[in-house]
Amino acid sequence: MRIYKKEGNTVEILCFPSEKVEKGDYLFIEDPKANRGLVTQVVDVQFANVPGILEELLRDSTTDDYVHGGNFDPLEVSSHINHIQDALVLICKIRGAVQNGKLLVNPSWLPSRSKSKIKRLPITSLLTFVKINEDLPIDVGETKEASVLAIDARALDGKLNIVTGKKETGKSHLSKLLVLGLIDYGATVVVLDLNGEYVNLGFSSKGEKNEYYDKVHVLTSGANLKVSLAQMDLQVMLNILVHALNLPGTSTREFRRIWRFLQQRQAFTLQELGEAIRNWKCNQHVRDALFSRYYSLLNSGFFTDNLAEATTFEELFQKVQTGGALVLNLRDVSSVDRQIVVEYMLGKLVELLTEWKMRAVFLFAEEAHLYLRETYWDDIVTRMRHFGVFTTFVTNQPDTIRENIYRQADNIFLFNFTNERDLETVSRAARVDSETVKSIARDLPPHYCLILGKAVKDFPMVAKVKALDVQTMGHTRLFFTDKD
Amino acid sequence: MLIEQLNYTTTPRYNFPQTLENLQLPQQFIELSLRSMRNVEEEYFQPNEMTFNRSAMENPEDAMPVFGNHGSFTIESIPLKPLLEDTPVAAVDVSSIKVGETETGILCAIRGAIVWKTESRYKYLRLGPFPFHITEENKKEIYNLFRRYYFETSEEASASSLINMQTRMGNLLERWLQMGVSCSSHNSIILWDGSLTAGTADSPVNVMSKLLEIARNRLNTVLAFSKTTHLRLLGHRLTDFVRKSQPPCLLQINGFPVYSGPMFPLGNVYVAKLTHGVCSFRLDIDRKIPREQEIEAVRKLLGNDLLIQSYPETLRLAHIFSTFTANEVIGIQRFIVQQCRLKVIARPNVRRLLFGPFGKGSEG
Repeated sequence: MRIYKKEGNTVEILCFPSEKVEKGDYLFIEDPKANRGLVTQVVDVQFANVPGILEELLRDSTTDDYVHGGNFDPLEVSSHINHIQDALVLICKIRGAVQNGKLLVNPSWLPSRSKSKIKRLPITSLLTFVKINEDLPIDVGETKEASVLAIDARALDGKLNIVTGKKETGKSHLSKLLVLGLIDYGATVVVLDLNGEYVNLGFSSKGEKNEYYDKVHVLTSGANLKVSLAQMDLQVMLNILVHALNLPGTSTREFRRIWRFLQQRQAFTLQELGEAIRNWKCNQHVRDALFSRYYSLLNSGFFTDNLAEATTFEELFQKVQTGGALVLNLRDVSSVDRQIVVEYMLGKLVELLTEWKMRAVFLFAEEAHLYLRETYWDDIVTRMRHFGVFTTFVTNQPDTIRENIYRQADNIFLFNFTNERDLETVSRAARVDSETVKSIARDLPPHYCLILGKAVKDFPMVAKVKALDVQTMGHTRLFFTDKD
Repeated sequence: MLIEQLNYTTTPRYNFPQTLENLQLPQQFIELSLRSMRNVEEEYFQPNEMTFNRSAMENPEDAMPVFGNHGSFTIESIPLKPLLEDTPVAAVDVSSIKVGETETGILCAIRGAIVWKTESRYKYLRLGPFPFHITEENKKEIYNLFRRYYFETSEEASASSLINMQTRMGNLLERWLQMGVSCSSHNSIILWDGSLTAGTADSPVNVMSKLLEIARNRLNTVLAFSKTTHLRLLGHRLTDFVRKSQPPCLLQINGFPVYSGPMFPLGNVYVAKLTHGVCSFRLDIDRKIPREQEIEAVRKLLGNDLLIQSYPETLRLAHIFSTFTANEVIGIQRFIVQQCRLKVIARPNVRRLLFGPFGKGSEG
């Protein structure tokens, strides 16, 4: 391998097919005289622009259909000619530099083109060198070289993460792996589970209880997840009414008065609320608006007047304080009810965190655009993060996540995308150049993930996500079922 | 050593195989290539940046005759009709290229191609590339070995300057391939690149006559197409006279050509305009075959081969298959460097040094 060109942070390396190098591999360009080197990553493999190649190919294509023949080449020169034809140019991105044994991020020098030696840098060496796997490793899977790739749980702590890729590439699988990894280190995890995929995390693939059985608590709205009005904070209730149920401003002001009225009377029940709306002196339109929302709350099944069956989040969080997950099962829950539940949950989370009843929470949100209101996106990235809500968005529609979320994402776990637009969206992430994202992600096979960001110390790595011995699959109802 | 590693079949001299597919080069040719390369080991090698294919026959192609300005000639246009009688068409072409220089000589490569068309299918056999290291010391030996081998002549000829050696060796290989095709074919049209003018060191009259005789004896007809001609008649380029003729046709110049020096034409010279288009070519046809057979041979060519811009596809393919591309030159250079453990150097380009961006010609 030889250095051919360098432009910006892109180095082009000339390589022959016998030197097996693939996309995603790391190369070390060592300048022995200067005692320093560049760490580069192959983001694309192209054919070298060899002079005369067009003529060669045209001539060869002539022989395909209407001309047949053979070559008498006793000296076997043609093998050398083919070698030249197959010469490759590796498009590499500079990821760092090594000078006197130390890793530098922004090299300001160029290695010698004539004297430099280029060799493949095994991922294991790179992992050791950049100290990716520190004291809280979460085993993500294995690299192409079959070595274990583990990220540090700290790399998710206080961070904003995105897991994205097209359908059935393994996103949920990875996020489950991260959830369990965090639980192992005593973290509190909340999962907004849209499709009921996480509800069986406490069971092995054979359906037996596993080590996480007591740590994973599944909450289903209307079943084991109900709250009383007395547990509600006015602001949370207003958020539900305004954002989930679209209550207009005038009606909201009336509701606030009704709420205070009930507060003074210490009568926080659904029945009392209904009565209060009915008897409240206000415009008929306002009353109608309040009533329609009241019945929505009533029909959601999320609210109860029976204090015995009401869920106390403080207690729930207490259970998972030393490591565990609250899985909010949103499967079979209507869109409006989903928003009500999520509004309540997030409001409660912030409340508990503000009061320092909890240290921090890792929030995993699957397809968050289906239940998160517009204003929450910025809230999650900025305000809520400071309270200790560290979010991981999981989606197969990258354009549903706002651009500023990508810009601020600390880690991106990227699975295969073939659609240009999807790749374009993800490539806006600040932690890596768009060429890397577009080129590598396009060719990722299912269950292979390109990890970008702090988790890999900004050395993008491809990993085959490891299998989990838990019931991971979401239940998709099928028309054609197995006969037996 | 490389020579011991190779295992190839040889062809006894002039004992040609029955089919063109089985045509092989004599062992001595390959050994010559290897032997010449052995003396280059561990030398410095300067690869050629500017690579030009040289077609064999480049020089003698358009060797005279010169048509004198004495007014005793006539021009006859012969209209042609394709003759659809199934006749094989074969063509030969050879290319040589200089791939670089060493401390003691030049490195060149030669490749030949034979293309033939039978039953509506084109087939080809490519021979080579064969690299040669030619030095002042070995050039005479190489050249005379070639001549002795191909022309069965013990008479030594003076090898030309190093610069021309690649072309001359290419010519010799071409003659050998032409001989091979003549011996292997029967009742066929054989297309040569160039003319049927004999009398040069690479085209001795006796050798050329023998080639044509072998072809004739096997009922083959040799048609030699010259891509470029400087032949002029009354000051006009010969091929210009065919402009007004309706293709396909031949233009025959009846007159008394005057030959300069040792040149001797073994063919009748025609101008061939075989299709519509801007191109027409000088066509030499073995003069020892009857005129009717000459015309019939061209008609058979029309009926059996594809012609584009008056040029036969078989010959075009032979040219394409023998020509070196830039990519192949790099491959050959790599082969030589690896086999002979040469050290690659880049000598400064004097023209570039002196004239900067204006120094665009070849170095020197």
